[in-house]
Amino acid sequence: MRSTDFQTSTEPAPQSGSGIILRATGLRRDYDGVRAVDGVDLAIGRGRLTGLIGPNGAGKSTTLGILAGTIEPTAGIISYAGRDVTKLGTHGRARAGLLRTFQQASEFKRLTVLENLLSSVPGNPGDSLFGALRGPRHWRQFENEALDTATALLQRFRLEPQANDYAGNLSGGQRRLVEIMRALMARPQVLLLDEPMAGVHPKLAREIGEHLIALRDDGMTILMVEHELSIVDQLCDPVIVMADGRVLAERSMFELRQNTAVVEAYLAG
Amino acid sequence: MNNQTLFYITTLVVYGGVDVIACLGLSMQFGVAGVVNFGFIIFQAAGAYTAAVLSLPSDRANGAFQQYVAGLHLPFPVPWIGAAAVGGVLAIPFTGLLSRRLRTDNTAIAMLVTAVIANALITNYRPLFNGAAGVSLVPAPLASAIDPLSLNYQYVYCGVVIAVALATFLVLRRLTASPYGRSLRAMRDNDLAAASIGTNVRGRRTAILVLGGSIAGLSGAILVGYINLWAPSAWTYQETVVLIAALIVGGLGNHIGAVVGALVVPLGFEEATRYIPAFGPPGLVPALEWVIIGSLILTFLWFRPQGLVPERRRILGLASVRNPSTESVDLPSLKESSTDA
Repeated sequence: MRSTDFQTSTEPAPQSGSGIILRATGLRRDYDGVRAVDGVDLAIGRGRLTGLIGPNGAGKSTTLGILAGTIEPTAGIISYAGRDVTKLGTHGRARAGLLRTFQQASEFKRLTVLENLLSSVPGNPGDSLFGALRGPRHWRQFENEALDTATALLQRFRLEPQANDYAGNLSGGQRRLVEIMRALMARPQVLLLDEPMAGVHPKLAREIGEHLIALRDDGMTILMVEHELSIVDQLCDPVIVMADGRVLAERSMFELRQNTAVVEAYLAG
Repeated sequence: MNNQTLFYITTLVVYGGVDVIACLGLSMQFGVAGVVNFGFIIFQAAGAYTAAVLSLPSDRANGAFQQYVAGLHLPFPVPWIGAAAVGGVLAIPFTGLLSRRLRTDNTAIAMLVTAVIANALITNYRPLFNGAAGVSLVPAPLASAIDPLSLNYQYVYCGVVIAVALATFLVLRRLTASPYGRSLRAMRDNDLAAASIGTNVRGRRTAILVLGGSIAGLSGAILVGYINLWAPSAWTYQETVVLIAALIVGGLGNHIGAVVGALVVPLGFEEATRYIPAFGPPGLVPALEWVIIGSLILTFLWFRPQGLVPERRRILGLASVRNPSTESVDLPSLKESSTDA
């Protein structure tokens, strides 16, 4: 099943008063006796750019991994678009429109930038064993249309000159862009970003930020783990603060600054 | 050219063709999809045994000097189809090894160990396939139509092997050049990231293991139909090492490299080392063959990891290049300058 099918078939229409697209209840994750995530409850609002901050070891990335299905929770329930997805694997959630990026560059190194982008397009008739056996005539039209979308995206992120370079040969910042673009090609409803600006040149980081705002304005839901408070301050509303595997607070950045516990978490971290 | 030379050449063509088919199967698994199958030879062996016991008469025939299961005496091409089917079906229980809990390197070790165990079991358990002695007197395919000892039979067999190798190459190239092949290469580069964009990694690995398994099974059937016997000594785990050496030398990730590697390593090198004059204690020369193959792998890994035929970059035409005029409605066909297989 592809994301588009899912959207039309199982996703309920947005209900008034229920703007929550992704909800986690009682999330826990233990690593050999160490509790990385300890009873986290989250509710991510539809069409919001939510920030997830906290000191090192707060459990932010683990929480994001659990939401995306790449990490199995020890306990807890995740519901996405009104459906319990706790048992659904990573690829199933991705097809349903819940996508993540990684803290470490995770581009497909020996695929070109364009191939990276095309690889995540859902519904390609040539992306199955039998579809591929039927030959290029079966999938070329779809592929051309996907190529148009990819070109537009490359122009938007100004990576068109690198379209046919191996993704593994790009700079660190460009690779982050490839990963974000690749996630966008999958037509996500919710994007989970793990420090998308880490190791990126400040100018490029600013551009990524602008793109994220634009995506949010287009109606996309984004949850973003970030270390840099100034970035969170500019982009995110609301902001969720984690420390020691728990959610400390969920407010606007302005309100958080008044909150001594949050300030302490950061100073102590 | 005298008959002896012609027999020698046709034998080399059949051996080379079988190696090419096997290498193509492994190339799809290892080179394209990143499935490190150190137990590949098990599937070739399964195909060979299957073809043998499907084409042999009951084991009470021939003075009951050997023991084996089945003995159905089925006509060609049923034993070959059965061999491909068994090679593929046998891959299914192995897919458990490919679950995400086992990392790629662990999977490789698990497959290697399985190959050793399987060989030990078949060697020591006679009722299945006649134990260490193996099954012999396997009927040659179409023996009733053409005399298997004639030169004409050699030519026909060569033609069939080349046709099967070519068909395998074309099918695998079609798969690899498709969006499906692209997602396999993506999975090879980073399986976690592939899963996170919606690729069913385990499902695809299973499909590739089954596909490679049936190709290996078919190669075993072709070989056993030609040499008419099959024993555990023909499929020790080292044979997989030879095939992996072929891929490394030829070039991983493209099927032309697999063909070149198959012709250079299992065929070329093993044939060339045959001409080393015997010297030293018995067993020294065969041992040296392994030294040479091992050194070949190390040399290529060190000096030319991309192999003789490197994987080619697939250049795609951007929409702006393909559609210089915005009025163009019909999209011209996708430009793909790569001829890579």
